[in-house]
Amino acid sequence: MITLAVIVAVVLVLFFWCKNVYNGMVAAEEGVGAAWAQVENVYQRRADLIPNLVATVKGYAAHESSTLEGVIEARSKATQVTVNPENLTPEALEKFNQAQGELSNALGRLLMITENYPDLKANENFRDLQAQLEGTENRITTERMKFNDTARAYNTMIRKFPNNILASMFNFETKGYFQAQEGAATAPKVEF
Amino acid sequence: MKTSKILKAALMTIGAALLCLNLSAIPGRPNPPRLVNDFAGLFSPAQTAELERMLVDFSDTTSNQITVVTVNDLEGYDSSEYATRIGLDWQVGTSQFNNGVVVLVKPKTPDSYGDAFIAVGYGLEGAIPDAYATRIVREQMIPHFKNNDYYSGVKDACVKLMKLASGEISVNDEDDEDEAFFIFLSILIVLGILVLLIIAIKSKDGGNNNGSRGGGGPTIIFGPGSGRGGSSFGGGFGGGSFGGGGFGGFGGGSFGGGGGGGKW
Repeated sequence: MITLAVIVAVVLVLFFWCKNVYNGMVAAEEGVGAAWAQVENVYQRRADLIPNLVATVKGYAAHESSTLEGVIEARSKATQVTVNPENLTPEALEKFNQAQGELSNALGRLLMITENYPDLKANENFRDLQAQLEGTENRITTERMKFNDTARAYNTMIRKFPNNILASMFNFETKGYFQAQEGAATAPKVEF
Repeated sequence: MKTSKILKAALMTIGAALLCLNLSAIPGRPNPPRLVNDFAGLFSPAQTAELERMLVDFSDTTSNQITVVTVNDLEGYDSSEYATRIGLDWQVGTSQFNNGVVVLVKPKTPDSYGDAFIAVGYGLEGAIPDAYATRIVREQMIPHFKNNDYYSGVKDACVKLMKLASGEISVNDEDDEDEAFFIFLSILIVLGILVLLIIAIKSKDGGNNNGSRGGGGPTIIFGPGSGRGGSSFGGGFGGGSFGGGGFGGFGGGSFGGGGGGGKW
């Protein structure tokens, strides 16, 4: 009788422990997915600004066509690389990061050549676009930071003992982080 | 082989420690809470008090929280990132509206640019778009800063920001507290009547058994109101133009990197 009670108690305790840990991990994984959605949002926001920017620059500097085409090409490549929130592996993230990084570099080159066109720089529309682009870059930095923080908390959770036993049983996988990308230093920097 | 391993471990530990130090470079939340944090010592005490009173008043009347932070060193961050991190770490703004603003100023020194940034919380991005924030830095702040008049620049910028922010979110914090206080008071009165009634009934029922109870009236002890903290009731009760005077604390606002800035 007593042994039965003990067994029942142990099973119950085990069950509630598993339930808590499992639900905690699910919630944390959802949090990472939400943070990722924000990251994609802000990158999309940047991609949406580009056609307008290119059109404005074209009006003043049509013969810089190679640079302009470079931006458009990098944009279409970058928007093709999407990451499924269920598959946030370091490799997938690296690919995404690289594509967006190339777009950053192309944009940096574009903004560099605009320095040679005082008329363009004085254009009100262009100045607004520049301010928006800069704001978008700030938002990208912030959302990347938030994503890394969320992913770090999740990774810590699923790798700690004894959570890691359950994590491996239910296939919770560690998420990747954003690394500072190459050429991040040359990301578009707008100064007035 | 073994020593190299130990060396590597030691190096990694030092690296990690440095990383931690680097991460904690953002100044901690001020305690006691205040809105003007002049770490760089740009204002006189009278100017700080004046600015603080203006901003606390604004926070009391509209719930928008504008905090001014001055630092001598950005610790290697971009001014935009530094300001946004302060907003996130300190949770400037209310959690309901995310209506915080961080005005960051790094003064010009002989060997570095001056740098200013206005970080805008999620909830105010519509009222203060990036282009406006940039314009405020360019038109209100930098001209004064160039004359070494940091106070006028910051004050003018705050006045402009208050105008923009109050157009979007204007919830009178004090009114809220007054209302809460009256609800609280009426509940107390009803409870008091109930307690008296119960005591009256009880003493009728069992008056003989515990006659000694008669004298002591009910003592009601109540703690601070839910969430707001005890001081808010005091502030609501005071009701004068400056309320209790102090700033009640940051409220859980979040930032997404919005805002604008400039260098000089």
